[in-house]
Amino acid sequence: MTEAPAAAALATAPPARPPGMWRQGWQRFRRNRTGMLGLTLVCIVVLVALSCAWIAPYEPNDQSAMMRFGSREGPTWAHLFGTDRMGYDVLTRVLYGAPTALAVGIGAMLVASVIGILIGGISGYLGGMADELLMRFTEFFLVIPVFIVILAVVRLFGIVVVGSPLESIPYLNLMTIILLLGLFGWPSIARMTRAEFLRLKEMEFVEAARCIGATRRDIILRHILPNALPSLVVIVALGIGGAILAEAMISFLGFGDPKAISWGQLLFFNYEALKVAPWASIAPGSAIFMTVLGFNLLADGLSDAFNPRLKQ
Amino acid sequence: MTEPGAARPLLDVRDLRVHFFTGAGIVRAVDGVDFAVQPQETLGLVGESGSGKTVTSLTLLRLSPRPARVVGGRIDFEGEDILTKSEKAMTGVRGKRMAMVFQNPAYSLNPIYSIGDQLGEIVRWHEKVGRREGDARVTELLRLVGITDPGARLRQFPHELSGGMKQRVCIARALLCNPALVLADEPTTNLDVTIQAQILDLLLELKDRFRTSMVLVTHDMGVVARMADRITVMYAGRICETADARTIFRSPQHPYTRALLESMPRVDHSYARDDARRLPVIAGRPPNLIEPPTGCRFHPRCPEAGEECRRIMPEPKAIGPGHTVSCLKRGSSGVAA
Amino acid sequence: MGITRYIVRRLMFSVALVLGVSVIIFTLINAIGNPVEILLADRPGITQEAIDAISRYYNLDQPPLIRYFVWLWNVVRGDFGTSIVYNQPVGDMLFTWGLETMKIQIPAILISLVAAIFIAVTAATRQYSRVDFGVMSGALLGQSLPGFFVGIILILVFSYWLGIFPSYGAYSTRRMLMGSGLIDGLWHMVLPVAMLAFFNTATLTLLMRSNMVDVLRHDFIMAARASGLPERRVVYRHAVRNAFIPVLTYLGILFGLMLGTAPVTETVFTWPGLGFLYIQAIQQLDYPVIMGETMIITVMLVTATLLTDIAYVLIDPRIRLE
Repeated sequence: MTEAPAAAALATAPPARPPGMWRQGWQRFRRNRTGMLGLTLVCIVVLVALSCAWIAPYEPNDQSAMMRFGSREGPTWAHLFGTDRMGYDVLTRVLYGAPTALAVGIGAMLVASVIGILIGGISGYLGGMADELLMRFTEFFLVIPVFIVILAVVRLFGIVVVGSPLESIPYLNLMTIILLLGLFGWPSIARMTRAEFLRLKEMEFVEAARCIGATRRDIILRHILPNALPSLVVIVALGIGGAILAEAMISFLGFGDPKAISWGQLLFFNYEALKVAPWASIAPGSAIFMTVLGFNLLADGLSDAFNPRLKQ
Repeated sequence: MTEPGAARPLLDVRDLRVHFFTGAGIVRAVDGVDFAVQPQETLGLVGESGSGKTVTSLTLLRLSPRPARVVGGRIDFEGEDILTKSEKAMTGVRGKRMAMVFQNPAYSLNPIYSIGDQLGEIVRWHEKVGRREGDARVTELLRLVGITDPGARLRQFPHELSGGMKQRVCIARALLCNPALVLADEPTTNLDVTIQAQILDLLLELKDRFRTSMVLVTHDMGVVARMADRITVMYAGRICETADARTIFRSPQHPYTRALLESMPRVDHSYARDDARRLPVIAGRPPNLIEPPTGCRFHPRCPEAGEECRRIMPEPKAIGPGHTVSCLKRGSSGVAA
Repeated sequence: MGITRYIVRRLMFSVALVLGVSVIIFTLINAIGNPVEILLADRPGITQEAIDAISRYYNLDQPPLIRYFVWLWNVVRGDFGTSIVYNQPVGDMLFTWGLETMKIQIPAILISLVAAIFIAVTAATRQYSRVDFGVMSGALLGQSLPGFFVGIILILVFSYWLGIFPSYGAYSTRRMLMGSGLIDGLWHMVLPVAMLAFFNTATLTLLMRSNMVDVLRHDFIMAARASGLPERRVVYRHAVRNAFIPVLTYLGILFGLMLGTAPVTETVFTWPGLGFLYIQAIQQLDYPVIMGETMIITVMLVTATLLTDIAYVLIDPRIRLE
């Protein structure tokens, strides 16, 4: 391993694992039944989100059922999942909830990933005092009661923006929730990034790259980060499910965006009519369950595929 | 294998077969093994890794791990068949009549209980004594295995001891209830060379003091040379040769035994990289036990193998007092398989 | 080196944490301006003088920095101020409502702990069997079921359809139906506790099972068997305790999660606990309650983390404190 040509070859070749790493991971993932089930569920949600405008049987704001049969009608052929207490078609509203859910999950994790990878990466790569400080900071965010703080911020921020130019931003309330979920969701990503950076920076191929004079930027972006990605993908998949669930809970409590259609919001509107129109609560609840389950199983399958040694 | 007139053996294993039923196929880890251990005798069970020695020793305690099943044979211990005993009766054998010392002392003590706690538990369980008597017994054993200040060690945890110390504790654990037979599975493999000799001496000394028999499982011919009265050589789940230690070293008969002995480095030789003065190695690789070689298991690597070795599986043949060998070239008969 | 010094260090971090949270919430509340003004803005018959008087009563005319330190000093003396909406001391309110929250959360965590250990041991000792597969799938599904959705289903089935358990509240108004207050209270607890225990059990089972599978592979388990200890004892004394150590850390996290999402649980069951109080407080901008409650919940979380850390040190002799 100390022989120079070998080191040079290792360092100039694409770093250790990719692209073989991804292909191998996919090979293993394909044989993982829970993982494939998760991927299927996630794909369904994505497809619904992309096509809801065409596949939904009604307009999302169509309340005309109110006039024809009245609201809270049980499932029929015309309304497969029934209508809710406002006369909306439940199936349509549930389908239109998919893009909101994905926007929340992906948006929040984008914000969280940027912060988490930055903080975790600096912490793991530099070590020492910077590491100590950043990890204390991370721990702070890990221990505070995030959900409760987010609730307060959403409510209070809603008051602050009244009358300010921010008010013109579409779906401002939803954007705030996404941003907050990201701002409070990064610590687990930071911890994972740090652990991976700590592990990888001692690896021989990184040493080799350093020996042939690769710049720090190159070492981090081309050698360490790509190899840390599999672990990060797992934690981000889990985080997407978590963020979707969190938004559902916030909306269920009535702090969601009244202009957006989200599953939590549907539950909030229909929960008080649970006794007379249970379908209007069960449908969005099941949608949340399937989506969260999909991302959890996907993460489970990915972690088995990328860390085969952990299994058996 | 019992000689007429000899004392009844303490342990008598006949045609033992242990197979692993895995998704990839049936692994014939132990496939028709015979050996016996006389009272107060040390039997060395020798073979390279994957030859089925560890599975054999765990099976003697009826603890072969999950996908493994005993598919044939008998294990007579103190006159009773181990394989037909109830699970409850087995707990009276394990640790009390037959005890085991494991390969890696670092992993074979429970990290979260103190030494006194985990050894005392065994004494109290088997001997139905109170805590004070149990602790006294543990302290005595710790002293016997050469641990200084045993009273204070009772309260220590495994991570506070060195590797050699841990193995001494494990030996003490095996001897707590004065067993008739101790199974030692590679007891020194994971220790420093200097500690190895101490542990082996300790085992010899305690074996005499406690008048126990011992089955010493190892891949190291040097260890058995020092310890064993008799030696059984295993290869790929079958026995190649059994004889007293002197005979094995003076006139080994089975080609595999010879190869093993030749590949042992000797202090009175100097070795070099060139072919002539190089340390001999056994060519080829250990066989795949899902589809073991037909006939003699060793034939693909055997320098003497003939055409019949490929077809016929040799049976053990007595060729001298207490000396049996399974090799067609040494006069074994066999069955076509 | 010793455990005392470790605890002192953790305590110092905890105090910093609690202060940090209080600063965040305080800053936010002040960012919206005068809560009394916002709250009373559109009420008819309220004059500006009245608003000013009320604001003065709650010290709202002082600069924020002064008010923060006044608030902090009062908290240190045990005075959390007075609720604007309820006109009661916030400290007393937090105590009574907090008891209700603990009444469902502590039983939930204890029940799920016992259940998870039992289920996980059953599954892990039969690894790859049908039982194990069933437990694993059930736990994976259960972990993804949103807690509040489980609550909704429970209410639908056990309250509306079967009519066994009440769907809301901690006590009946018609108490005579149930005989005694104790039974009535327990009866109301069943569904909320079941909902919380459901999620916790799923999570803890998954964790405990994978730890058990891992521990059961270790040599010291084989050594305990080879020493003649009966299988039950090997599993429960030697494997469970080792497998439990990582679960312990998770208990703190789980408790935090439960406490943090108490608003959701208590909204589903209209349960008069801290979470329910919190939702009301932020809707009505009852800022002394918001401040007091975020403080109390943070303190509880920090205490739970601290306790699990200490328990960790006590149960695992290998841990050396930095």
